[in-house]
Amino acid sequence: MNDQKDKVPVFKSWTGWYILVLAVLAVLIGLFYLLTKTFA
Amino acid sequence: MTATDWLVIVVVLLGIIVYGLYKSRTTKNLDGYFLSNRSMPWYLVLLSIMGTQASAITFLSGPGQAYADGMRFVQNYFGIPLAMVVICITFVPLFNRLRVYTAYEFLSRRFDNKTRLLTSFLFLLQRGVSTGVSIYAPSIILSALFGWDIFWTNMVMGGLLIIYTVSGGARAVAYTQTIQIVMIFIAMALAGYVLVSSLPPNVGLGRALHLGGTMGRMNVITSGRTAHGFDWNDRYNIWSGLIGGFFLSLSYFGTDQSQVGRYLTAQNNRESRLGLLMNGLVKIPMQFFILMIGVLVFVFYQFRGAPISFNDSLVTQVQATPYRDSLQGLQHRFDSVNTLKLGAVQRFTDGSDDKMKGELRRLNTQAEGYRSDFNKLVKAATGKDGNDTNYVFLSYVKHYLPVGLKGLLIAVIFLAAWGSIAAALNSLAASSVVDFHQPLRGNKVSDPYHLSRWYTLGWGLFSILVAQFSTRLGQSLIEAVNVLGSLFYGVILGIFLVAFYLKRAGGTATFTAAIIVEIGIVLLFFNEKIPLLRWLPDISFLWLNAIGSLGVVLLATFFQLFLPKPPIESVSQS
Repeated sequence: MNDQKDKVPVFKSWTGWYILVLAVLAVLIGLFYLLTKTFA
Repeated sequence: MTATDWLVIVVVLLGIIVYGLYKSRTTKNLDGYFLSNRSMPWYLVLLSIMGTQASAITFLSGPGQAYADGMRFVQNYFGIPLAMVVICITFVPLFNRLRVYTAYEFLSRRFDNKTRLLTSFLFLLQRGVSTGVSIYAPSIILSALFGWDIFWTNMVMGGLLIIYTVSGGARAVAYTQTIQIVMIFIAMALAGYVLVSSLPPNVGLGRALHLGGTMGRMNVITSGRTAHGFDWNDRYNIWSGLIGGFFLSLSYFGTDQSQVGRYLTAQNNRESRLGLLMNGLVKIPMQFFILMIGVLVFVFYQFRGAPISFNDSLVTQVQATPYRDSLQGLQHRFDSVNTLKLGAVQRFTDGSDDKMKGELRRLNTQAEGYRSDFNKLVKAATGKDGNDTNYVFLSYVKHYLPVGLKGLLIAVIFLAAWGSIAAALNSLAASSVVDFHQPLRGNKVSDPYHLSRWYTLGWGLFSILVAQFSTRLGQSLIEAVNVLGSLFYGVILGIFLVAFYLKRAGGTATFTAAIIVEIGIVLLFFNEKIPLLRWLPDISFLWLNAIGSLGVVLLATFFQLFLPKPPIESVSQS
């Protein structure tokens, strides 16, 4: 039961989640840079 | 304000109180009162974390910040995802494994009671005062714009939430925050929709952003570099956001009990982690959206003619002084520039004259110069701060939003304040009971549940007192408290970093390092006021978090070289 509760959702391990969060940050910074270049 | 707007405000606020009381049923012990019996799923943890961080000022000053300075403020949040990852790896498993009630409880197991008491004291000092000011800050804006009595505005802003916070503890806080944050999103989205649809027919979102960008409002990413190299006093750029913001977020989410208390309510490690990581995913887009509303308000006013100050009451006050004629002359020049600017804006948005960019920038700089002159005039005439950043969005709400939506937006300001204040009161009570009262009484407290309710009530009344006292001290106090956190957060984080990563450092080395670095940080911040220290560089307050935490780590390591090693038990226990 506890094992089931602690199971990492979607990814095999929490590392997958950490990479996702950091990758989204990188993508957002990239998008913001493009927005700045386009509109500023 | 129409009767409909008042009805919306009363229904929303009363609804939240009733809902909070309805959700107040919990077991009558510390686990139930402070941690909701560790029963929360990740999405409630997420909304509670967001509701705690997003205060009324977030929604008032965010759009105003973008109006005045552009989108670059969003970079301030770049450190959050990085901090969420570190907290999930290090802080969450340890706090949950030790089943602590407060973050500082861990320090007594890892170090000793003096280090725990020092850290908890710094938290209570900083959070206690800032909670009072977080009642006062939105109250003063609402009372200035709508003519409300500041005493009663403070009472509603800080008083009514005490009812459900005292009654239901962490459970009532989390459930009400969920409703509050959902309502805030809905209201802000509606405000954004009304804004875009009230622009001229030939101005869509893309053209509006081009116009805002031409006048310097789409500066989302900035490097902080100037002709003379990197500007360390520049508050918002990608480096201060990533590095300074990382340390600030690590300290706020990892060691501030108002946030730690939220994810300790989770069912297990998995739910705590998911709540925090989702916060890392959604926080930056959310802030981007709030700032974007500010850019759209800026564009909106290019077609309507912005006032010289969004704080109407300041204009009235200056008019009642001998500076009245100076104001009239300034107003005339400002209106003339606005008229010229309106013509240039229309030609720009028609697309008929793309060469208008230079002219637009020139006129905008001129208009901003007059707004800056008005601030100086206010200072000379009244001695008050003329900065109207916090008034921009609410002034727009007051003058341009339709009936009903205006009431909803004002209710949302109260809800945002309640969400963060309720979490703060809950955490202040938790730390007072668990870190001070119980240890000082030798852990022989017969009824900690009722004691905790009294502490929550006590901190609530204290916060209202601080808010009422702030009314006498004025606007400058808000700025002082904004930097107060940065004076303490770095040292608090440093203590936790030593606890987590320097297994051989003991309590005495860490305690001594923390005291010395805290004194150093305060001296560094006030260096301009101390003749002997004027040679020190001016540093933006965001960097103080990094300096404070690294200072404690380095100094504790150094002191430990001359002290006996801590017992193996205390190291392995943690």
